[in-house]
Formats: sequence, structure tokens, C-alpha cells
Amino acid sequence: MSDWAAYVRERLHVGGLRPECEAEIVEEIARQLEDAYEDALRRGLGEKEAQADAAAHITDWDALAAELRESPAGRMPALDLLVERAADRRGAQQGMVGLVAGIWRDFLYGLRLLAKNRGFATAAILTMALGIGANTAIFSVINAVMLRPLPAKNPSRLVLLGWRTTARYRPNLRMLKFYGACSMEGFGLGPEGHVESAVYSGCSFSEPFFHEIERANILSGAGAFVDLGTTYLSGIGSATTADAEAVSGSFFHILGVKAAAGRLLEPSDNTPSAAPVAVLSYGYWQSAFGGSRDAIGRGIQLQGLPFTIVGVTEAGYTGITPGSDYNLWVPLSDYARVMGWPPGRRQDDPREWLLTIIGRLKPGERRAQAQAAVSGLFGNQMLHGATPLFIDAESGRAPSVASRALASSGGEPELTITPAQSGLMGYRGLYANPLYLLMAAVGTVLLIACVNVAGLMLARANARQKEMAVRLALGAGRRRVVRQLLTESVTLSLFGGALGVLFAYGGAHAILSFVGNAQLAAVGSRGPIHLRVLGFTAVDPRILGFTLVVSLFTGILFGLAPAFRNARVDFTPALKEGSRGATNSAHAVGKWLTLGNGLVVGQVALAVIVLVGAGLLVRTLSNLRDVNLGFDAHHVLSFGVRTPPGLNGRQWEVLNQELERRLAEMPGVQSATNNTWWRLLMGVARSTLFHWPGTPADERSEADELKVGPNFFSTMRIPLLAGQVFSASDFELAATDEGAKPSQTPVPVIVNQKFVEQFVRKGNPLGVRFGEHGPTSHGPASPGYEVIGVVGNARLSGPRERMRPLIYEPSRGSFFELRTAADPRSIVPALRRAVAKVDPDIALFDVTTESAQINQLLFRERLMARLSGFFGLLAMALACIGLYGLLSYETSQRTHEIGIRMAIGAQPEGVLWLILRQGAALAIAGAAVGIGVALGVTRYLGSVLYGVRADDPLTLLGAAIVLTLVALAACYIPAQRAMRIDPVAALRSE
Amino acid sequence: MFGRDLKKGSAELLVLSVIEARPRHGYEIGKLIESRSRGRIAFRIGSLYPILRRLEDRGLIRGRWVEKPGEHRRRFYRLTPEGRGFLAEQRSLWEQFVATINQVVSVRRV
Repeated sequence: MSDWAAYVRERLHVGGLRPECEAEIVEEIARQLEDAYEDALRRGLGEKEAQADAAAHITDWDALAAELRESPAGRMPALDLLVERAADRRGAQQGMVGLVAGIWRDFLYGLRLLAKNRGFATAAILTMALGIGANTAIFSVINAVMLRPLPAKNPSRLVLLGWRTTARYRPNLRMLKFYGACSMEGFGLGPEGHVESAVYSGCSFSEPFFHEIERANILSGAGAFVDLGTTYLSGIGSATTADAEAVSGSFFHILGVKAAAGRLLEPSDNTPSAAPVAVLSYGYWQSAFGGSRDAIGRGIQLQGLPFTIVGVTEAGYTGITPGSDYNLWVPLSDYARVMGWPPGRRQDDPREWLLTIIGRLKPGERRAQAQAAVSGLFGNQMLHGATPLFIDAESGRAPSVASRALASSGGEPELTITPAQSGLMGYRGLYANPLYLLMAAVGTVLLIACVNVAGLMLARANARQKEMAVRLALGAGRRRVVRQLLTESVTLSLFGGALGVLFAYGGAHAILSFVGNAQLAAVGSRGPIHLRVLGFTAVDPRILGFTLVVSLFTGILFGLAPAFRNARVDFTPALKEGSRGATNSAHAVGKWLTLGNGLVVGQVALAVIVLVGAGLLVRTLSNLRDVNLGFDAHHVLSFGVRTPPGLNGRQWEVLNQELERRLAEMPGVQSATNNTWWRLLMGVARSTLFHWPGTPADERSEADELKVGPNFFSTMRIPLLAGQVFSASDFELAATDEGAKPSQTPVPVIVNQKFVEQFVRKGNPLGVRFGEHGPTSHGPASPGYEVIGVVGNARLSGPRERMRPLIYEPSRGSFFELRTAADPRSIVPALRRAVAKVDPDIALFDVTTESAQINQLLFRERLMARLSGFFGLLAMALACIGLYGLLSYETSQRTHEIGIRMAIGAQPEGVLWLILRQGAALAIAGAAVGIGVALGVTRYLGSVLYGVRADDPLTLLGAAIVLTLVALAACYIPAQRAMRIDPVAALRSE
Repeated sequence: MFGRDLKKGSAELLVLSVIEARPRHGYEIGKLIESRSRGRIAFRIGSLYPILRRLEDRGLIRGRWVEKPGEHRRRFYRLTPEGRGFLAEQRSLWEQFVATINQVVSVRRV
């Protein structure tokens, strides 16, 4: 037989071996069979017999194949097997299926290439993972904080009512209740006093208006709620406090919230004659009653008023406003009673703007339709009702019909209907800006990562030029080559994305636990918002979808440039020349290096922007930390007390004095004091208007005021600069009932230095009287104030507050501060015992230290400084890796050139300089571009910065210089490598 | 003439022994074993070839394609240093084994 190889090939099917290995086996077995055949011929057998004799050597081909398959040598890697199988099926598939199969094959081919280039693959995947991971982490936090659906059935149909007006009209109101349910404009206090706002807006409405909305049948249902704050709760064990909300009877029904036990509130509960009932939250039911059904029907006292528990809300519902965490709900009709309003004040007064109103759109109705209908109602009732709710700021009258004609100019108050999902702010208002800023920062980091990997791909594309040329020469379409390369880059980014999700999981958990640990004091709201209500699940389809989209997008983004580069390869020279020749041709150098350099400059510029932002935020935090508060916040424990309701002023005064005495006597306590209205360092202040002598009679001056108890200045360590502190008789006078006060004695006050600077200016402030006035429509005549002392400036609201004139009045309050010798936290158990000894019915709440309170106040700044600092370093590291990669690659490409330079006398130092110079030029160019862009971008940070300007030259230059230096260090490694090139070896390598 | 099991147990030793002196190609190895055993042990190519692959996988022998003038190229196998050590060890074990078996088998007392 002439062709034993064909004979073997026909019978032996090993499979799973590399083709070259299988060919070798076939050849060797064929050779041996041929030897046997020739041997048989030599032994004198005929041709046929000799053939049969040789063939008899192998009878069981399958057994042989099986044995050979077990040999590890030559076995094909698993990936290649997959590629081979995909290729086998290729012929049969066309159209869409064929395309998918083709991409699958490209994917497998890409995997194989990556497996072969482990260094490249690791660098690219890690880079992408860092970029994608950072984005996924921040997106997870945004998802948990901002995008979380409201805890209601079909929340997209819920709407929030609000109103807007220009400065021409102002709300005609007695009180406007605001506790962070929505964003409001125009009511804040600016650093210099009242904000002169062009637009006022809010989402509080009066009870009569709510009933109008209910009656008008524009929405399929409307509900209203109002915060009751921290209430005094007794009747279950020892007295305690509970966060409560008053809601309309229809409220739970509109939300679609179900009862976990008993029933929820109903419209029949919401009448003044109905028996007072309360609904507990699931969590509170569990903690206070152990989840026992016996709780239903039990009586409790809220602010001393009896209520009967009728039910428990479903688990997970703690309030409709994001971040709210209520313990119980009572009917709206009980609001005034629980708040202890005096008899003359009615909650159904149209000038009491208390309620936040939400509604559900009718099925099939659009928001615009509801808006139009409600606006009509609003126009009639609110502007022209018996009590006009908006009045002309100048005339003090309701807008006339004539002025309504001006409505087209947009001057008239209007009602707005917004989706509740976006309108109800809660804590979102606090996090929106920081989170979107951080998202911008991580977006930039991802861009750097993309550019970085694109650079890597370019360098590799260069090395693969020949492969691409072969593909094109063999007839592959350019589209086909682009697809191949894009598939490879997307494969890389998908791996990066998968790894990134792991990074993000850890990162988001770290961020959210940081967020959760800080019981943030929400500025302008009722108290600490409990962030544990933040839900966070890592395996959220929305997050995974986000990561997938980002991965695909980035894969295409960084793959596109190299892919089109490669598809444009002019394959004739690429095939003809060696690898060095192809890259060093003038044509290639001009194009490649420009693009590579551009990528590096871009990376450095982007990194400078992130670094500058981070620098500004870190400096903001450090400035705020360094702010001289004017008092000593260390070793101060603070807490609020709620005393049993129903005490008269005298009884309360006695109880408070007893508390002061007991607290001051506690071991470890150096001194104790208290103040009125709210805990210090809450970011809030109260201001008062008064007449200052010497100014026009109708002019009102403004200063902050705070009522403080005995020993306030010594406990807080605010220095007394002149005069004296309050005496016991000052507090006696303050505690005297309004009617029994001597009408001629002014209130003794102590003012801060700023007050003296702003009002007294020169001369002796002590004994100065101000603020006296005759009887007005608002109240009786007042003898005003007399300055008895001057103290140092203190930022009692928090470090961010501008120093404002402040008047201290003597009066005992229910917010206590204890100065302790050691860690204030250690005395908390003793504190509870001491308070219980005075009166077991006193409830303590919000026990914390002033240092912790400052940390909470600075929570956003800490979060931003920490995260942006981290991302800034990440951006810098990535940019430096990019620069390092480019220079390393170019140095390796220029080995030959450098060899020649050195052979003809270039000094190693010269070579070092040659490479460093290029790196430095790129870094400096990038830094310059970065500074330019940063100047334009950082002004968006303006509102969050403190003590540093958005265009702070020190930060800008500092970031640029740090980055340039680090970049130079990254260049040094390839430069040094170039310096050590042995000219002889470099030249011989050709 | 010997059973399959006997042959299988000693096959590696036989192959290693015949290439101890110099490299040989596959068919030659089989022929040599056959002639040295005077035809009593014969390996077919189908059984010998996997043994060669296995020995090579274990690093005991190494094959190399050799082309001689006027002939097709053939794969020649030689002992690696590991193979040489392994052969020495196996040979001594074999001798002890045979001696031991003989001690038992050749005694014909009842």
C-alpha cells in the first residue's frame, strides 16, 4: 500500500488533541505500519498478504484512540475545543443565528487570546473592574437612597400637591409647617438674614383646603399627613418617647398599606367626636410589645392623652416620606390636642398651613389633567375665598381681579402636582447633591479607565497588525475584523464588570454602613433621620443591569478606536516588513504615537479634574474641622427630656431645678446646664426681630436668640468678656407667669461679641436697652431687653454657620448639656438612674455627645471628602499606569533606536532624559488641560465648599504638581530600563 | 505465548531495556523485543504505541524525528536520565521478584 497515512487517518479518530499533535501521531503510526508491511514483504509475503499482516497490528482502532486520548501531552486547551466546535457548526448557520454563532466564536477566540496574554488581560480587567466597580458602588447607593420606590402600592400613580408664588404675593399664613417632606424655596435664613427670594414654594396646605381637594373628586383619593415630632409616651412600662405622625382617615387606604394586625385608621376615626385611636409601626410593635396581639385594644398615653391601639402597619412601612421612621400614627383630628395648642388656636384655621397632601390619580388620567382641574379650584378658593391665602406683598390685600389678568406674566400663585416619587424629598434632599457629584467623579474615573485600556489595546493592536493584515489578505471583511476586535474588548470589559460588581458589593456596603452609622442630623427637619431604614440589596436587577450596560458601553468605547485603526491597516507593508519595521515606519509612528499620546494627556487631564475636586472637598472638611466653634465641644453629653404633660409652669420649674441639681452632683459630671427649643449643633437657629434705638421707628433689626439655663456659659466654656452672667433672680423672673411680670423691667440679656460689633459698635454695651415697643396688633407692649453681659462668639448651630449676632435670654429648657471629666458616654447608665430618681416618668431622648453631633453635622462633608479622596487617588493611579504603560511600550519598541544611539556615543543619562522628557511633556500637557477644564467644572461644587474657593489656585496647582510628580515617578521605571539597554544586544536582536 | 497480563506488567521494562544502549524507532523496538525473546513475546503496533506515548508523557523516554538520506523520517526514542534511573530500579526490583518467585515456586516438597 502506498498511503498508510491515509489508511490511519481514515480509522483513527482521537479528537481533543491539538491538530499538529494529532498529525504527528498519524504519521508515526503510519510509518510503523509501513515498516511492518515492508518487513512482511521481505519475509516473502505477497503484497496482499503483507498488507493484511501489517493491518493486523491494529485491529481495535477505537481502543487505541481511547488510550491516546488519555495522554496529557498534546491535549487541546478546553477553550480551543469550544472554538473548534463552534467553527464546525459554522457552515450550517446563517442569518441571525449565524451572527450570534459568529460572535460566540469571536468571544471564544478573544478568550483564548486573553488567556495567552495574561499580563495584558489582568491589567485591562483590573483597570475596568476598578472603574466599573466604583460606578456600580455609587449607583447602588443612589439606587438605595434616591431611586427607592415609595412604600406604597403602585407608587407611580401617587402625586404630591405643592404651590409656587413669586415675591409679589406671599402666603397669608399664621404658621407654615415644614419638616423636609419636599424641597421649599424662599423660607430659609441666609447668612445675612432673610433670603430675598424671587420665588416661594412649598407643599404645606391648610386643613380646609385639604377638605376642598377631598370633596372636589379630582383625584381618586387624597390623604394628608403632618409630623407630631418626638412625643411623650406612657402607659407601656417606663415613660419613653415616640416619633409620631398625624394622618387623615383615608391616608393608609390611598397608599395601599395593609395592616399586619388589627386595623389601620379609617375616615370615621378622623372626626373630633371619635374615640382617639393609634396605629403602631411593625417595628415598634415588635420592640415594645414583642409582636403580641394583646397590644391591640390596649390603652397608651400620648403627651398624657389616652389613645387606644387599634392596629399595626405592615412590616417595612415606617412613613411615606423617604427616610422617615415613625413609631405610631394618630388621626389628623387629634393634632392640636397632642401638640397642646391653646384653646384659641384651631387646626382648621385656613391660615394654619400644616398638611402635606398626596393623592392618587384616577385610572387613565394624566398628571396634566389633574393639574389643570386642581389649579382651577386653587384659583377660586385660595385667592378669593373668605380668607385669602395669598396676599399682595405691597397692599396686603388679596390679589384683585385686575392683578389676575397679569397672571399671564407668571406672577400669580399656582398649584403644582408632582409625582410623589420625586416630590417627596425627605433625606434625599440631603444626599442628592453629594451623590450626583460623586457619580460625576466615578464617571470620570471610569472614563480614565476606558482611555487607559484603549491605550493598552492600541499598543497590542500594533503588535497584532500582522495578524490583522493576514486576516484582511485572506479575504476577511473589515467589518468582520472590527467585529472581532470589538468582541474582544467587550469580553474584557464584561470580565471587568463582573469583577467590578464584587468590588462594588464591598464598596457599597462600606459606604452604606458609614452612612448608617452616622445618625445624621437632618438640617431643618424634626430630628435625626434614622438611616437604618435604607434598604440595600446587592443582587438588585437594576444594579446588575446598570453594570451590564456600563460594561458593554465601555467595552465598545475603548475598543472602537483600536478596532478601526486595525481595520484600516494597509496590509502589504505590514506583511512584508518585520514587526519592528511595521511600527517604526514613519507613517505608523506619526499616527500611533499621536493617538497614544493624546490618550495619556486625556487621562492625566481627567485625573487632575477628579483630584482638584477631591482636594477642594478634603480642604472643606478640614476647614470645617478647624473652625473655632467658640466653645468646647469635647466631653459634653447632651440629651433631651420629656416631662409628663400637664405640669404647670411652676411645677415644671421645680422639676427642672431638681434635675439640674441631681445631674450636677453625679460623679464624673463637672457642670450641667440646659437650653430651650432644640439641641445645640443641629444646624438650626431661631431669629428674632427687634427695634434698635437710633434706627427709624419702623425698621426692624434681626439677631438669633437662644434661651439658656444656669451655668450655660461656664459649662460650654464660652468666655464672659464683660458684665455678668445670669443670676438666680433672672431665672426666677423668666419663670414668672406672663401676667405677673413687672411690666417695666426689661429682660436681662447677654449678647455675643458679634452683636456688639454690629449694633453697639463703639461705647459700653452694658446697660444698653433695646427692643421696647408699645402695644401692637400682635401683642401687648414690651419693656424690651437690657444687656447685662457680653460673651465670646460661639457657633452653637454648627461649624458651617456664619457668625451672627446672638441674644441669650435666661430661661430653663429641656435640652441638657453635661460637661464630664472622662468619656461622656460612660456616664449614660448613671444618668438614666439619676433622672429616674428625680421622676421615673421623665423620658430621655436623643442622648449623644457634642463631638458625635459635630460628626453628624459634618456627615455629608466627611462622606464626600472620604470618597472623593479615594476616587481621586484611584484616578491618579490609573492615569499613572496609563503613562507608565505607554512609555514602557514605546521604550520596548525603540530598543533598536536607543541601541544605535548608544552605539554612536549617547550617554545613559541622555537616554534617561530622552524618555523622561517625553513623559514629563505628556504629564505637564495633561495637567495644563486638566486645570483648564477643572476651572470650568469645579464651580458646580461651590455650594458644598467651605473656606475655599472653587478656583482655589493652591488646590489646582497642588493637584497638578502632585500628579505630575507621581507621573514622573511612573516614567522613571521605563526610562531606567532604556538606560540599561545593551547596544550590542539591541542591535543583534534584529 | 505468554498471557496478556504478564506481558502488560513487564512491557515498560522491556521497552526501556531495548533502548538502553541506543535510540530506536517504534517498529524496531517491537521487532527487537520479539527477536530477543526468540519470538515468545511479540507486541503489535496497536499495543506498543500507546506504551511509548505513556513513557514519553512520564518523561522516561524522549522521541525525536530523525530523517536519514533516502528514507522517510522516523521517530527515534531514547532514554532520558530519569528513564535510566527508573530502568535501573525496575530491573533490580524485577530480579528480586523473579528470585523470590523462584524460591517459592521451585520448591516441590509436600
